Amino acid sequence: MVAAKKHITIVKKRTAPFKRHQSDRFMRVGESWRKPKGIDNRVRRRFKGQAAMPKIGYGSNKRTRHMMPSGHKAFLVNNIRDVDLLLMHNRTHAAEISHAVSSRKRIEIIARAKQLGVKVTNGKAKVTTES
Amino acid sequence: MASNMSSDLIWECTRGQSAFLCKRKSAGGVQFSRDPLNLVNKHSRKYDGFLSDKAIGINSSDKSIVLTTKKADKANKPASLLQTSSFKATTPARNLYRSIVNSTVKNGYRADLRAEAVSRASAIKRSQRPVRADRVTKARGAKARKEKEVSSE
Amino acid sequence: MASRPTVTVISADGSASEQTHPLPEVFKAPIRPDIVQTVHTGMAKNKRQPYAVSEKAGHQTSAESWGTGRAVARIPRVSGGGTHRAGQAAFGNMCRSGRMFAPTKVWRKWHQKINLNQKRFATVSALAASSSPALLMARGHQVSTVPEVPLVVSSSAFTDSAIVKTSAALALLRAVGAGPDVEKVKNSRKLRAGKGKLRGRRHRQRRGPLVVYSPEEDGKDLVRAFRNIPGVETSSVYALNLLQLAPGGHLGRFIVWTSSAFAALDKIYGTTTEASALKKDFLLPSALISQPDLPKLINSSEVQAVLRPVKGGSITKRAVVQKKNPLRNMQVLLRLNPYAAQYKKEKLGQQKVEQDKPAPMPEAFGTMLHEN
Repeated sequence: MVAAKKHITIVKKRTAPFKRHQSDRFMRVGESWRKPKGIDNRVRRRFKGQAAMPKIGYGSNKRTRHMMPSGHKAFLVNNIRDVDLLLMHNRTHAAEISHAVSSRKRIEIIARAKQLGVKVTNGKAKVTTES
Repeated sequence: MASNMSSDLIWECTRGQSAFLCKRKSAGGVQFSRDPLNLVNKHSRKYDGFLSDKAIGINSSDKSIVLTTKKADKANKPASLLQTSSFKATTPARNLYRSIVNSTVKNGYRADLRAEAVSRASAIKRSQRPVRADRVTKARGAKARKEKEVSSE
Repeated sequence: MASRPTVTVISADGSASEQTHPLPEVFKAPIRPDIVQTVHTGMAKNKRQPYAVSEKAGHQTSAESWGTGRAVARIPRVSGGGTHRAGQAAFGNMCRSGRMFAPTKVWRKWHQKINLNQKRFATVSALAASSSPALLMARGHQVSTVPEVPLVVSSSAFTDSAIVKTSAALALLRAVGAGPDVEKVKNSRKLRAGKGKLRGRRHRQRRGPLVVYSPEEDGKDLVRAFRNIPGVETSSVYALNLLQLAPGGHLGRFIVWTSSAFAALDKIYGTTTEASALKKDFLLPSALISQPDLPKLINSSEVQAVLRPVKGGSITKRAVVQKKNPLRNMQVLLRLNPYAAQYKKEKLGQQKVEQDKPAPMPEAFGTMLHEN
């Protein structure tokens, strides 16, 4: 496996999740973000001490966007033909095997990826067993 | 190619959808190309070979490297369109690059793809080398203790 | 990119015959994916079967809202008593046995009218696109074994009902190099995802070659011979259909022409100046630019001759560039101060300032200074 191309440091401006307003108060209100729309909503009006809302300023640098800590970008792969696409991109992209691929085919995909020097992000899933 | 056809037109027709195009939503919407005449597998006007008059393809076929070029005057005759020459896996890398460059770039054939051709040949050559086995990682922590117990019994 | 005036006719065994045919004018028509796409979306809607729910569905009750004040929702409720139905909510789309949301109406517009000239333009455009191997490959057709595109098979292969059996038809397709495309279709047959399986659309598969024949010369027996080969479709040259010429609105269907059908094209579509014999008031659309190869156009001597040379050339001041520090970047320094080259060459910067020691003071000065 080849190490990723050199890149500028990945800076995440915020790592905490944006939680939906009042998801802490009610079971029926899930945590996944919904923009508050109410006319009096204090989160929407950005009052002091309220939850932060997502906005474009939290975005990552374009050059490190979608990058994993290893410096690769994940590319979803279903078969060997897809892995072959990454021949010239093994320093920028890593293969991620699609979840529905069987372990027999996973072994073939991983072997091919190894030949091409392509990193597989989930290379151990369904292939190795915990003893 | 008929008088109403040009590479630019074909590119405009196929840039949105094509059998060669491989789109993903992940990684910022990358677009790769499955075209065998594409040296970097990138879906772009410059690199996609099926639409241009002249194109270089370098591919591996079990333990050999195959160089494919397009004959510009046979654009409408797909059966005789491609010219292939194959190199054994044992060809030294430098000879390989030299003969690829000599037969294409030095003949005034896609001089803009010189670096890409050499790097693809090199990548294929590297992929044909025997795969090194994974290093056995030493167990640590609880796992190591467990292993030790098992071996001491 | 020389224009190809003629197309070789392929004989039944796949070898090129001596016969050639001039390329019909249709193949020089402008290729407009946008027009093909819009016409295709319109045409694809024209085979739909109308459906709607009954106008009365969910409304066959005399339900009335109870209004506020009874601690139940204000939805209309079935009146009366003596049955469980009484007091149940009705009408609303959220109610059991209520009507659906936005009930489908019988007056929905199912079919699209497309202007005749647009339809003709799209057909012609799709035909022209079918003469480009690159577009065929981009549509996914396996054409690498085909001797020539457009593929014209001699009509002698079809005369006297030569192709009646499917085996003969398949053998012919294999001989002219369309075998891999047929094979591709065969291998592509998959179960459809979703409910369509139950609605008469059980399998999905690719499209193979389209065989275009002329019914008078080639007869119609070949239709029955080809119809059981998966993916292969047949069409009379007089009734070409855009849905077959550009499936999905994507240009570049692989077409196998019989030579008599190919010969009939000029009669059917005419040219850009001569009206078509069979289509009323139809002239082939002409291209807006006769040379679609833009780099060729730009680099042509005619264009290059009238362009003015680049102003200033390499020494022009570039407007927005990154500022470079002349103290670190020698080239930038030289641009500002050409003398810097000589200065550096003679190592003037490293030289010590030549200076004699100051002459010692005369003794009288010292004594005068220290007099007191």
